[in-house]
Formats: sequence, structure tokens, C-alpha cells
Amino acid sequence: MNLNDIEVNSITRRFEDTVAVDNVSMNVARGELFGLLGPNGAGKSTLTKMLCGMINPTSGTIKVGGYNIQDYPMKVKELLGVVPQDIVLYDYMNARENLTFFGKLYGLSGGKLRNRIEELLKFTQLDEKAVKRHISTYSGGMKRRINIAAALLHEPQVILLDEPTAGLDPKNKLALWEMIRTLNKEGKTIMLTTHMMDEAEELCNQVAIMDKGKIIALGSPRQLTKKVKMENIITILPDKITSKLMEATQKIAGVKSSYRAYDENEKIETLKIITERAEDILPDIVSAISSVGTKILSVELSRVTLEDVFILLTGRSLREEEEPL
Amino acid sequence: MKLKRTIHQVFAIAKTDFLGIARNKTAIFFTLLFPLFFLIIIGFTFGTQGTGESSRIHVGTVNFDGKMIVVNGTVSKNSTIGDAFVQALKDANFTVYEYSTYGDKDTDGTAAYDISRGQIKIAIVIPANFTEALSYQYTDSLGTPIPTKAHLDLYTDPSDPTGSIIVQQSIFGFISVFIDSYQEIVISQIPEDSRDYAKVLADPITVSISEADVSGRQLRWIDYMVPGTLGLVLLWSGLNHASVAIASERTKGTFQRMIIAPVSPITVLAGKFISCLAIVYLSAVIMLASGILIFQVNLYWNLPAIALSIFLGGLSAIGLGLIISSLAKNEEAANSIAVLISVPLQFFIGAFFPLSIMPEPAQIFGEALPFTKLVYAMQDIMTKNLPFEAVMPEILYMTISGLILFVLGIIAYWLSIKRL
Repeated sequence: MNLNDIEVNSITRRFEDTVAVDNVSMNVARGELFGLLGPNGAGKSTLTKMLCGMINPTSGTIKVGGYNIQDYPMKVKELLGVVPQDIVLYDYMNARENLTFFGKLYGLSGGKLRNRIEELLKFTQLDEKAVKRHISTYSGGMKRRINIAAALLHEPQVILLDEPTAGLDPKNKLALWEMIRTLNKEGKTIMLTTHMMDEAEELCNQVAIMDKGKIIALGSPRQLTKKVKMENIITILPDKITSKLMEATQKIAGVKSSYRAYDENEKIETLKIITERAEDILPDIVSAISSVGTKILSVELSRVTLEDVFILLTGRSLREEEEPL
Repeated sequence: MKLKRTIHQVFAIAKTDFLGIARNKTAIFFTLLFPLFFLIIIGFTFGTQGTGESSRIHVGTVNFDGKMIVVNGTVSKNSTIGDAFVQALKDANFTVYEYSTYGDKDTDGTAAYDISRGQIKIAIVIPANFTEALSYQYTDSLGTPIPTKAHLDLYTDPSDPTGSIIVQQSIFGFISVFIDSYQEIVISQIPEDSRDYAKVLADPITVSISEADVSGRQLRWIDYMVPGTLGLVLLWSGLNHASVAIASERTKGTFQRMIIAPVSPITVLAGKFISCLAIVYLSAVIMLASGILIFQVNLYWNLPAIALSIFLGGLSAIGLGLIISSLAKNEEAANSIAVLISVPLQFFIGAFFPLSIMPEPAQIFGEALPFTKLVYAMQDIMTKNLPFEAVMPEILYMTISGLILFVLGIIAYWLSIKRL
């Protein structure tokens, strides 16, 4: 039997006239690494707040580890380890003092707490010198590792991670991904909210995409890209993008869809064409672009990503500022 | 088991909150040492009043006595009593500056100039006929003395009304003693059988003022002030710290992290309350110890009554702080509101200045404050050594107001959780 650690049944949450979460249902199986994706205002934060008992749903039920959160809030809180997006630590205390404090909140004390803290300090790979320093002197990556460790003290079965790698450099990001994978391998059920597609694709075996309070797609990253029945994407960098160019590309046989996309890193606008048989139609695309007097500066062939799926489903980009938990 | 766990949680929250003060120099100053700063400044300024030190009073004299005047058609030049008056001022330990003329505020070296610069607080102008008048040298054509009063002109500094009143009181007291001595001399010169009659005529009513024995000791202002500063402790350490206790956790996100742990909101509140109370008691100990070490105050130590009074006063301060902390948008807003409330309030609680010198509406407002009741109770217990029963009205008032404010604080706290 597939045991679900998180069961969300027809959850709705209203704030006066606004419906933040609209009749959402989803399950997260034990041992799964589940990604919740969506732009700002999609309802991810509200859903996460309801999952950890900070706010109550207007209707519907949530079960964590089989316990209804409204009937057994304390039991659910013991099963959950919540890692907020912001660094929520006392900067005037050192790592050990912070972990001791949060451990005591979860009912740990004495030798058990001391041993657990030492285990987690080893897990975070902080040296003894750093452990004795106040958190205010830590780098962003060190703070984030302790931020995660503080949620693991009581060995929770279910871990909620809110944008765990936000603001981290690539080296620290990879180190944190490794930490998350290790936890998952230990059998922990992990749900992470993120707007980083590479993170979700790299880590998650199940993904839900939320928009306007609803789940608009649910499945593995592979299933989601297959669901839109598109395997490839051609990214073209023309010297200019005009409406004539857009019309010309859409008329080519075999093109499912084409859209303009802005690359924030490169600060350039590209033309994306989605198709099932990229190699076959590439010559037609090149001639169509030339026919409207546009020069091609570069062409790139890649697989459809979750970002592309989201854009196709909603017509909007996912890369927006997220509201922290 | 559950109780033990809750106790651990409460003390972990209290300890963490306390460390937040102990490891922050700015917080230590504003929470623990600011009342002490006030005590030291005001203590050194006014604290020794009540010991009769007149040397602090700077008096200017313009002695025209001895200048030539015409008395009974002949020129007189006698300065005996005027000189004696100035000497008596010096003997009474006033700091005396002598001038040849009263002058004006723009002429350097004159009494008026020094009053305008704050060099002297009062100028006494002794007229040229001071000795002649007091020695009955004015006579009629038959040689019978004409009663002539000697007149002194006093000039005070209008820019310092409070200081002027204190100086005037001292100078009037001095003049009264001087007149008594003069009367003694004059009366001793009249026939013996008329002397008693003359004494009554000269002084038909006598007044003696003595300080009632309220403490068993000679008291100075500082002896009242040090117990009174415990009211300041409530405002600065209690109200101010409680005001940011929840708001700062909410701003940092640590409050949300506590709430999503298996910790009840009441446990968080209890931890915060214990920490606030510990800070109030610590600040009180610092204030009292400083009073003893710096100003050598002599106090009576009814420890249970003192501890209970501080607890009840603390209940009001923390309750009010909790309301601010829960309703304020963030830590900065909470801090600003707390300062806005505590700074003016400290002048209405009778810690530094008695409420009796204030206008009636201010007195009514001050009397309604639970912090004022703590000041009264502490002064009664620690300075006057009154029994606990004597401060029961203050204790009852603090209990009721403390409970009301604390319950309102809890309601505000619940509302703030719902807003998360």
C-alpha cells in the first residue's frame, strides 16, 4: 500500500474576498521529494502555512502522517520539520545555542539533545571554530545550513522546505542539494516550494504547479513535459523580433507553438519554438525567418523544461519574486 | 512529562529572550542602564537638597549703607548694621558677591549683569539709611525718635522661577533670623519691666517649623528618589522591553518558527513574561545598589513587600508592553510607540518631582497611573519604613490595574497570532 505522508483534500482558504487556495487536493507519498512550483500569489505560501498549522483552511482537510492537522495539531507539528525561506535564527547566539533552543522547543533535552546537535553539526559540515561563533558572523551558506539543521533536530518524518537555496551561490546551492538528497535517501518525505526550475527538475520526483490558487499540473517532471506532448524546444536569437516573424514561424508545419522569451541572465529576447520533430523542421524555420528579412544570430536545440510547461499552461513566466513563508 | 516539557520550553524561551538583552550593548543601556543614567544626573543635581547647604546659593549684595545721607539736617555716614548684615550672610554660609551698584544687564561688574548671566540668583540692595533707620537716628524737633523702617530691595532671576522661589525662601529665613537678633538687642535697651511687652509687640505670633519624624532619619531628596526610581524601572525595563518582546520575534520570523513547533502560544507568552520580569528585577537591583553605593541612601528593606510591589507594577508594565508588541506592525514601530509612551510618563509618576507641584489635570492623570502607585508604595516602605498594611491601597490598585492590562495584553497577543 502506498502510504501518504501528506494528504490535502479539497482545501480552500479565503481572505475576505480573495480565494488564496481554491479547492486544492494532492498527496505526497512517504519518501517522496515533492516540488511545489508557482509564481508569486499562486497560493503556495498559504498552502504551506496551512500544512504547518499556522493558519486554518476555510474548508477541506489536511492530514500529515495520517493525522488531521485540525484535530491533532501538536502531533502534526512533531512530525513536521519546517525550514523557512528566510534565515530564522538568533544572530546573537552561536550555532550550538540556536540548535539547543530549537531542540528544547521540540521537547528534546539532556544527552539526547546534545548528541543530536553533534550529529547535525557534522551533517552541516561546520567546523568547531565556526560553531562557537555567533550566527551574525556566518556566511549566507552557513546560516542556511544551520537554518535547515534547526528543523531536523526532532528527526521529523516530513520536511517542508521553502525556497531552500534562494540567494545562494552555485557552490553552496549544490552543497544544499546534496543535503536534501541525503535526507530523502534516509526516507524523509520532503516537500519543497521553489520557483527555480532546475532545482525542481534536479531534486523532485513529483511536482505540482500552482497558479491562482489552483493546482494546474501534477506529476513527475518527465510526465509533465510529456503531458504537453512536446519533446523539443528551438531557441532562436534573431537580430529583431517582429509580429511578421511570429506569424511566419507559427505557419510552419510541425510547429506546435512559438513565443517570445526574455533571458534574464543574458539580458536578451529570444524566440522559442516548440515542436515534436526539431531536426526535420529546422530548415523550414531558417528559411521562414530569412523570408521576413530577419537575421539569425544563434540557434539552440533543447528539451522542454518545466518553465516552458508553465508558460504554455499559463502564458506567464515563473521567475517572479516569491513571498517567503 | 508534558508539564516538564512545557517548563523546559518556557525557560528556553525566557533564556533566549534574556540573552537578546545581555548580548546587545544598546539594549543593555536602554533597558537596564537608562533609568540609572537618569538617577545619577538628577541625583547629583537635586539629590542633596534637604541638608541645608546654603553655600550653593549665590547672593549678590549692593551695600549703600555708609554712603553719605542727610539725617535730621546733618550729614550721616554710618555702615555698621549694613556691614553686619553682609557679614551675617557670609557667616550663614551663603556665597556672597559684593557690588558697588545694582546696574543693568548690559553693564559688566554690576549685580544686574551677573543675575542675567546666572552668576548670582538674588541681589540684595541695602539702602544708605539702613543703619540710621535701625538705630533710631531720625528724630523730631524735640529729639524724640521717629519710627523709620529700613527697607531692603531683593532682585531675583525671572528666567528660573523654581530656583528663585528656593533662593527667596532661604533669604527670607535669613532675614527673619537677622530681625530676631536685632530685636533682641533693641529690646535689651528698654526698661526691664517693659521688655516682655515689647517682645510680644514685636513678634505677636511666633511660628516654628520642624520636619515631622516620618522615617527616623534625616532625609534628603535622594532618599525619596531612589525608591521612586523603581517606577522608572517599570517604564524603561518593563514596558519598553515587553513592547518589543513579541514584535521583534515576529519581525525576525522566530515567532512564526516557535508557533509551528509543538509549543502552545501560552508557553511562548509565559517565557516572554518570565524574561521581562527578570529584566525588571535585575534593573531594580541595579538601581537600588547604585543608590546605596553612589548616594549612600539609607533604606528600609521589607523584601517581600518590595518584591510583591515590583511584581504587581511589572504586571501593568508588561501588560501594556504586550498590547504594544502585539498590535505594532513591526519591532521598529513597537519601539517608537513604547518610547513615545514611557518618556512623558516618567515625569508623571512622582519619581523625580512630586505630583503636588503639577497642575490639577496632571495630578489626576499621574495619580491614575499604576507606576505612580509603585513609587508611593516604595517610598512608604523603603524610606518611611511604614508597615505593609499602610500601602494596601496602592497594592490593591496595582493588582487590579495589572490584571486588567495583562488580560488586555493577552487578548492583543491572540489577535496578533491570528494575523500571522
